[in-house]
Amino acid sequence: MVFSGARSSTLEGSLKYKNIFGHGDIWDSSLAYGCDNSGEVGLGLYLPRLRGRPSPFTSRLYLSTQDWLKFSSYRERALGVSLGVLLSKNHELGYTLAWRNLIDPTQMASRTIRRQIGHSLVSDLKYTFKVDERNSSLRPTRGYSFVSTSQIGGLVPDSRTLRFLRQEIDLKYAVPLGFYRSALNFGVSGGITFPWGSGYKSRASSVSERFFLGGNISPVCSLGGPSALWGFKTRGLGPNEPRREAEDDKSGDAYERDFVGGDVAVTAFADLSFDFPLRWFRERGIHGHVFACAGNMAELSGNKYRNFTAPKFMETFRSSVGAGIVLPTSLFRMELNYCHIVKKQEHDRAKSGFFLTFSTPSS
Amino acid sequence: MEGDQDTSDFTLVTRKPCFGLPTACPNCLPAYIYLKLAQLPFQLAFNSTFPDSEELPYFESGTYVAYNNEDGGVIEKLEKDGIVNLDSQLQSLPDYLSLKALIVSWLDEALTYEIWVGTEGVSASKMYYSDLPWVIGKVLFYKQTYLTKNRLGLTKENAEQREKLIYKRASEAYEALSTRLGEQKFLFEDRPSSLDAFFLSHMLFTIQVLPETSVLRCKLLEQSNLVRYAERLKSEFLEESSSSPSPPLHSFPSSFSGKGSKTKSKPKAEKSEEEKKFKKRARFFLAAQFLAVVIYVSVMGGVSSDEVEYEDDD
Repeated sequence: MVFSGARSSTLEGSLKYKNIFGHGDIWDSSLAYGCDNSGEVGLGLYLPRLRGRPSPFTSRLYLSTQDWLKFSSYRERALGVSLGVLLSKNHELGYTLAWRNLIDPTQMASRTIRRQIGHSLVSDLKYTFKVDERNSSLRPTRGYSFVSTSQIGGLVPDSRTLRFLRQEIDLKYAVPLGFYRSALNFGVSGGITFPWGSGYKSRASSVSERFFLGGNISPVCSLGGPSALWGFKTRGLGPNEPRREAEDDKSGDAYERDFVGGDVAVTAFADLSFDFPLRWFRERGIHGHVFACAGNMAELSGNKYRNFTAPKFMETFRSSVGAGIVLPTSLFRMELNYCHIVKKQEHDRAKSGFFLTFSTPSS
Repeated sequence: MEGDQDTSDFTLVTRKPCFGLPTACPNCLPAYIYLKLAQLPFQLAFNSTFPDSEELPYFESGTYVAYNNEDGGVIEKLEKDGIVNLDSQLQSLPDYLSLKALIVSWLDEALTYEIWVGTEGVSASKMYYSDLPWVIGKVLFYKQTYLTKNRLGLTKENAEQREKLIYKRASEAYEALSTRLGEQKFLFEDRPSSLDAFFLSHMLFTIQVLPETSVLRCKLLEQSNLVRYAERLKSEFLEESSSSPSPPLHSFPSSFSGKGSKTKSKPKAEKSEEEKKFKKRARFFLAAQFLAVVIYVSVMGGVSSDEVEYEDDD
């Protein structure tokens, strides 16, 4: 199952039961909790061998809730089943059928989010092509990775299911520089989503399928589409709208805003990592890095493609630079960074200062 | 919210139209009629994916939103916030509160009963769930039917008695309102009020949505001055923007009337087009699945026969 973009750090625990039915079946139950008040309860089945032959099938039944009230004034609940098949080392095919419900218990949502509140049925097929030739996912110093994810939703004859197309690409490259184990990491990610079916141009894309940028994960580690950008808070940039005016607001000027996501998003980063001269740091893998990143998003669906122009998209690019210390552990990579916001737009939730990020190899 | 507002920004969000009504939701239609009676220009938008929401209808203008589950309802909220107020100086009249209680409790209960229980939920299904995928629609429909029966206090033991009581109260309410109205244009002081909005909404639903066999519908049609009142208000306030006038209410063919009804044949033709499209897509889908299986089997069969020849060569 794929969460909406711009994930924050997540804590997950799982229990596994093996061979309950004597066919080498592996059952797992998991509980995950994210720093952004998201949670998931899941039950999965993996059959490594079927009739004596290696079997690539996995299945998962899940109930999840993602709380985006603070950022976008909605909470998402989903009950669904996902089936996956690993076609080869690099190719994976997955199918998800889920009942999704968006609610706004605060009743403070902006107009775009108000229009999206309700129930929907998601039936989508996802194909992932992944190549990761980097020597390490926590501190890559050599190699490249490429991930392409294509998704099509609405694969049932019922036209009332959610119909969308989504494409993400992510390319990273690490070049060793030959001193103090330093390396230059480059990365570029892009994604686009759009509804399909009758009236697709005027219909707004589902907010759950849109792209969101920002969060406390490192772009160096995240594999997948555009999501992370140093210095910008979770869902802290991009198209936004004013929320409903509060009745008891006495200041008269405290309207907050909802970040509603974008149908197209692009991010790019460059990161120079290096060891410190002291052996104590080197032995523990603690190293430093300086970085720069840029990103932007825009809405296209709901007839907003008419207002989209490439020059305006380039003009409104956000960017940041910074430096920091990286502490890799066997489970995750922690960064303590100082970020300086070079360029941001009005209402973006970003400011120069110190930030902590936590990333796992699969973030 | 105070001060002048750009009226082009006013939007009322309701559930979708059906049965010849601008919105096929008994909670949303009073707000629509109220704004029409107040002659406040507004746009209409629809939400068809949240049938169990209590927020609908809601009125919005810029960052101002009036939800139906706040401050006693969207009409009360609009009056309180100064957007529009048809009830000024009426609330002090002695009949006002008693008539309001009749309409929003007895008649509302009767209509709810008739939509969800009396007609076995057929119209409710079309009103609330036709735009949702089948699985979700069915689950929500059964859930709402159960909750509605609980709210009406219906059990297997008292179902018959409750039904009689509901219809008796509705009948008494119709008589009281008929007496109150007489041959006046509106219920109070010859000017529209929120009670006209609530009552007209109830009448339009009862006559246009419920089948001809509905007990509630029959009881309402007995009060001829009420039917004339509804026809008058409908033609004067609700059909200003429509290009052609609709037939009189008393002769309005119900959606469940006998065969050959004109209003039924048009949606039936549309439905058969949709059904044909649906079946065509389903056939393509199944054909693609079958073809994929055939190709897989033939490819796998070709591989195994090559292996057999190779072994023979050895």
